[in-house]
Amino acid sequence: MIDFRPVLQIVGVILCLLAASMVVPAAADLIAGNDEWQVFLISTFVTAVAGLGLVLGAQSEFRTLSVRQTYLATALGWLAPCLFAALPLMFGPAHLSAVDAVFEATSGLTTTGSTVIAGLQTMPPGLLLWRALLNWMGGIGVIVMAVAVLPTLNIGGMQVFRLQGSSAGDRAVRRSARVGATILGVYVSLSAALALALWLAGMPRFDALVHAMSTISTGGFGTTDTSLGAFNSGAIDMIACVGMVLGGIPYLLFPQIAKGRWRTIIGDQQVRWYLGLMALGALAVVLWLMIERGLDPLAALRHGTFTVVSVMTGTGLVTIDYSDWTGLPAAVLFFLTFVGGCAGSATAGIKVFRLNLLFANARVQLHQLLRPHGVEIPSFNHKPISEEILQSAMGFLFVYVLGFAVLSMLLGFLGLDFLTAISGAAAAISNLGPGLGEAIGPGATFAPLPDLAKLLLAAGMLFGRLEMFVLLVLFVPNFWKQ
Amino acid sequence: MIDFKPVIFVNGILLIILAAAMGIPALADSVSGDPDWRVFAVSAMVSMFIGAAMTLGAQPASHRPLSTRQAFLLTAMAWFLLSGFAALPFIFSGLDLSVADGVFEAASGFTTTGSTVIVGLDDAPRGILLWRALLNWLGGLGIIVMAVAIMPILRIGGMQLFKMESSDKTDKVKPRIAQVAASIGLVYVTFTTVSAVALWASGMTVFEAVCHAFAALGTGGFSTSDQSLAKWGAPTQWVAIGAMLLGGMPFALFITPWKHRQWPFLKDSQIRWFLNFVAFFALVLAFWQWAYNDMEPGDALTHATFNVVSVVTTTGFASTDYNAWGGFAQAVFFILLFIGGCTGSTAGGVKIFRWEVMFKLAGVHLKRLLYPRGIFVVAFNDRRLPQSVLDSVLGFVTVFFLTFAVFALGLTMAGMDLISAITGSAQALSNVGPGLGPIIGPAGNYKSVPEAAKWIMAFEMILGRLELFTVIVLFTRSFWRE
Repeated sequence: MIDFRPVLQIVGVILCLLAASMVVPAAADLIAGNDEWQVFLISTFVTAVAGLGLVLGAQSEFRTLSVRQTYLATALGWLAPCLFAALPLMFGPAHLSAVDAVFEATSGLTTTGSTVIAGLQTMPPGLLLWRALLNWMGGIGVIVMAVAVLPTLNIGGMQVFRLQGSSAGDRAVRRSARVGATILGVYVSLSAALALALWLAGMPRFDALVHAMSTISTGGFGTTDTSLGAFNSGAIDMIACVGMVLGGIPYLLFPQIAKGRWRTIIGDQQVRWYLGLMALGALAVVLWLMIERGLDPLAALRHGTFTVVSVMTGTGLVTIDYSDWTGLPAAVLFFLTFVGGCAGSATAGIKVFRLNLLFANARVQLHQLLRPHGVEIPSFNHKPISEEILQSAMGFLFVYVLGFAVLSMLLGFLGLDFLTAISGAAAAISNLGPGLGEAIGPGATFAPLPDLAKLLLAAGMLFGRLEMFVLLVLFVPNFWKQ
Repeated sequence: MIDFKPVIFVNGILLIILAAAMGIPALADSVSGDPDWRVFAVSAMVSMFIGAAMTLGAQPASHRPLSTRQAFLLTAMAWFLLSGFAALPFIFSGLDLSVADGVFEAASGFTTTGSTVIVGLDDAPRGILLWRALLNWLGGLGIIVMAVAIMPILRIGGMQLFKMESSDKTDKVKPRIAQVAASIGLVYVTFTTVSAVALWASGMTVFEAVCHAFAALGTGGFSTSDQSLAKWGAPTQWVAIGAMLLGGMPFALFITPWKHRQWPFLKDSQIRWFLNFVAFFALVLAFWQWAYNDMEPGDALTHATFNVVSVVTTTGFASTDYNAWGGFAQAVFFILLFIGGCTGSTAGGVKIFRWEVMFKLAGVHLKRLLYPRGIFVVAFNDRRLPQSVLDSVLGFVTVFFLTFAVFALGLTMAGMDLISAITGSAQALSNVGPGLGPIIGPAGNYKSVPEAAKWIMAFEMILGRLELFTVIVLFTRSFWRE
């Protein structure tokens, strides 16, 4: 039997943190003179009680987590906050149904950014701040998980990012603390810098704060229905664009920059592919906008680049309504949705490094066709890729594609049309936000979808966020036997 | 330097065979009094002349076995060359096809894809109809021989697993081709005859039955009617289902002798996966048609089974316009475009064998997450798969999806819309035939597709047919060096 106590205790701590963070929107609403602060305060109270109850009730003398406990803690550590974070949304002025609220909260914490709320402009600041906070906390949670937990669990080839000196799966907790501190520092300073820059570029203070939080976490919740389009400022778009690009870079590389080691970041294969693919996609879309839509070069550069960056990093901020783009740019965006950003960042998707690994293997295979007896080993960042890593990456890719296929079929079964079903499934699993087409494209909300579809999409977001296998492994019967 | 002589010599022989095949439609046309017989006769003469010139001019000095490089070159060249010459009758016939249309139709026929640009098949001259069916049939035969005799030795995408026992110890492409081809050809001819008789008995005319038997066994999908198989009733459609299923099975197993008192055919895991997969989706779609679109249960089962079998075996017949079945069916058919039949059959696509390997790899990854120190083996047909096979399967699948994405982008650049481009690229790469959407869906036609897109798809069909690597290897520098 698995000892659940340490797991529950960790979940309790996370819930306490969540409860503490609910005080922020409560304060914002109180200052702005909205009655909604009471909702947040009550939610804080409920969440705190649940969290403390778990922490105190499940006390145990544990030092290290077993592999199974780590899985369970990771999965529950995401699931429970998603439910509790929905409380203020349910009882707040948005009057969301339970399903809608859970969808919105999951979308926020997984940094997806799909929304069911229309008329954001009229919503009180507390709610807007809460959504942005969800993005922001989700972002840091993902980064810590991707850097400290997933590599030790060997998820989908992530073991290439294992740091030296830690090979056993049971050191996850201790490393989380150390690495988490570094990353939190980087994350907070980036957010602050971004907020400052947005404010200087002419955004109101509150909007700058909200957008900084949802940009750096590649979440994408905004303060208006038209997202960044409402501000219509080139400077703001460019700053947000840079913020999103930074949000997709492995966070462990930032301390290297601070130490002046530029070469490590430029020499990193993953980062190079990430930026290269982004530039290629942007180039294609910019050219298309100039030729087909007749935009002047500067406007094409601004909107094309922004949209490609936003979609590839899975942010979902919008400067221009791209739902009527057809052909080439639509295909570019569709494929980039799957690619995602780098491992160890706040982005989701297949992640660039897996493409690196698989492409390296494909090249080796091609060469071996001509030299059947030659021995060639695929490498990543000058290190040989072991069989196990390669197979993990492929296993991940397969499950990812399978998840996408199953989700889009289920959505279709609920009566959604083809484009909505496949782009919705892709947007959820890749934690992007808006899909393609009339129903769920940029500018539209997910509100009209059937409830079951919303729950499926929320589940898809969690699956994508937890790299599929963390949740999948819980469904293996052997997981529960010893 | 590669010695081109044997390559050209063999291609010359294949061209002469093609020329001889052109005699058949010429005969059919002259019997029915159509002036098009001259076109076939002239095309036959041109092909014959060039083929003879190649054979005589490039007679190899000795009977040395082919090197690996020569085998690659020979295979790739054969498909491109024959597709080019097979286009002659289309271009010069009374149908007045453009060069792009003619090459598209020929490539589509020869790769057993079945996408057509010809409208008005019901009134088309018999010679053309027979020629299209013959291309399907010859292409099917060619691909089986290639899959059984050549691909395993070239180690394309894990096909080395299907090496015949006696060729295990040699790297050279020995002319066991002749022996294997003879017995498989016999099976192929027998199946075709049986199918033709059954189709005739179920209500087709003799001519229609022969054409459709050719197209079904080759999993090509060219029909003699614009409505495809919708023109005939359920009995004919069920016979066609049987013929397509036969075409999608590994032909080498039909000639494998009984061992230990059981036929290996029944124990083969690939065939089991294939049949289970088809049955599952046929039932799900039949249920959908019955529950959602109010189809009669019997009709629903017939149409669902027919179209699922048609797409999975990459045939491309249609018994009804399944594009109009709603979002769920479209999502299913989109995903089915990638599956493909068994390895060693006339079907295209990723193929069941590789999906099986991928599925098992994902399972192994899942188990490894729980037992990090465990040792897990991927087995196929109760035999452990060697590392090299796994790696080449991974390489193949990576390149397959990469190619799909690149060509889909190319098609959008040529001016196709998103859904047509994505499904068009998928169907061409898997040699299916119809895509989805109003333009190239099962009720559509490729006639209105932009010229550039036709060239792109024709190339992609051959690329998919040759299992990608055979062509891509020609573009590596090391192929031409040495």
